[in-house]
Amino acid sequence: MKKENIFDLRDVSKVYCMKGVETHALRNVNLTIAKGEYAAIIGPSGSGKSTLMHIMGCLDTPTSGKLILEGEDVSEMEDDELAHVRRERIGFVFQTYNLIPGLTAIENVSLPMRFNGIGKGEAQKRAIELLNKVGLSERMHHKPSEMSGGEQQRVAIARSLVNDPDIIMADEPTGNLDSKTGIEIMDLIEELHKNTGKTVIIVTHDKKLSKRAPRQIEMLDGKPVR
Amino acid sequence: MFDIAVRELASHRTRTILTAMGIFIAITAIVSLGSISTGLNELVTSTTGSIGADTIFVMKHFDMSDMSGPPGSQSIEDISAEEVAEISKIPGIKRAVPVISRQIGGMFEVDGIDIDDMDMFGVEGLEFEEGMWPDNDEKGAVLGKIVANSFDVTVGDTILLNKKEVEVVGIFEGESGSYDLVVLVPYEYANEIYEADRGATQIMLEPVDISMVDSIKSMIEDEHEDLDAMTMEDALSMMEEMTGTLNIMTFGIGFITSLVAAIGIIITMYTSVVERRQQIGIMKATGAYGRTILIQILEEGLVISLASSLLALVVSFFFVDMINNVLLGGASLALITPELAIGAVMYGVILTMLASLYPARIAVRTDPIKAIRGN
Repeated sequence: MKKENIFDLRDVSKVYCMKGVETHALRNVNLTIAKGEYAAIIGPSGSGKSTLMHIMGCLDTPTSGKLILEGEDVSEMEDDELAHVRRERIGFVFQTYNLIPGLTAIENVSLPMRFNGIGKGEAQKRAIELLNKVGLSERMHHKPSEMSGGEQQRVAIARSLVNDPDIIMADEPTGNLDSKTGIEIMDLIEELHKNTGKTVIIVTHDKKLSKRAPRQIEMLDGKPVR
Repeated sequence: MFDIAVRELASHRTRTILTAMGIFIAITAIVSLGSISTGLNELVTSTTGSIGADTIFVMKHFDMSDMSGPPGSQSIEDISAEEVAEISKIPGIKRAVPVISRQIGGMFEVDGIDIDDMDMFGVEGLEFEEGMWPDNDEKGAVLGKIVANSFDVTVGDTILLNKKEVEVVGIFEGESGSYDLVVLVPYEYANEIYEADRGATQIMLEPVDISMVDSIKSMIEDEHEDLDAMTMEDALSMMEEMTGTLNIMTFGIGFITSLVAAIGIIITMYTSVVERRQQIGIMKATGAYGRTILIQILEEGLVISLASSLLALVVSFFFVDMINNVLLGGASLALITPELAIGAVMYGVILTMLASLYPARIAVRTDPIKAIRGN
């Protein structure tokens, strides 16, 4: 049985204009990703893989074309509508972890739930549950500066799951980690995919890492070539 | 999300303190100056309220530009005994009360008045803490509480008036308004102390009927070019003019300090927003609405303004206490009313909220992509 598409990109282009010079980051991208799929977007620097992830992650909108997310056109949504989609349906894991320095692990993880209007107590209960799952039961009250890179990335993974989104997008999740910790983080993401059936999209320039995903989307000059 | 705003402020203590400092200074200035203004207004109201509305004050003509205190406090030439006698005979006057007034110690006033006419002076209802009124032929002085505190005297002690030792026979209870600042002696005794030749610094006139006030006033001014006659209404408007000037000064200083504080808030909050661009971007990337960011920045402003305004209020109470007890020897001249206190705190909060709006709008416009990339 054919799986339902979670992402459907139709002729998506993104053009940046800086000081009158146009840069085509994406050129008429047509791409579908099925629900529950685990895919890696690969390509050299400047190939458009990060721009593609930002558009698929509703952090940015295309200059032209359409992005259909589970049957809903999100390409012309307003900022707050996009924020709502990100909060409810997409979890992000970034290369530089992007945790809030002044907040503890629990507070960082529970933050997206607080944006949803959920009370501090309930949000923190869920955060504790997820931090336990990613193996950080001993580091819950630590701030990012008191944790290793691997631990911070685990906190980021827990944060990405807090609102139980269907999609996890990871941008170079192992880029700042040593190889052993990188493998641990990838194991954790894959385990998550296996156990929950969430759609996982990884952006990386590391071919070895991308091969762990069943599907590789190779970007070159703003277009998928494979 | 209020807890997050508080955590954010606590994690950047220096910046928070610097932001709060501007509001603190502005509110302290407003409350401290406002307390003096309020106190003077109260003093004028309480003093004029205790003197009859139909009373006419007569004194030697003087230029308004020389004025620097309540009526009778200036060094004005005395009205001669002959003129006192002439004025007493003007038709329609029920009672003419000569008063000899002299200043002592910069802020106090000695008034010589017939003890039987003290009701005209508005002191009839005042309670004594110690002693009592002297008889008209007695040589004694009644002191306001602040004067007694200032000279550190009690009943039975003496004070020096015009280099003559005068026995203290009574001291009013405190909180008696402007009467805390006076020394009252019988008219005859004042005449002797100041060698006033039975003249008067001012004459207080009680008309037979209130409708005769204007005609008596014009008659005096027509017949005695060197004299000014002032009704209670004139005195009130003169005092209001003076307190009005002080109010404008208070407003001006308050406005300037507020402006400086507001600019300070905008600068520090803006810096804070720029420094936290990545953090704000992360919040937006993980699903925060623009208004969530806006509210958090305003909440931070609210916490800073409430804390600094309340602290400013506490410090102002301390200042006012110091002004009253140390500088004025126990006077309640500076006064922080509940209206002034609540108004100042609300002003501090509104000022900060308004000044936080611009940085908050900048925060809302943060591009999450640039922020998470660390650009």
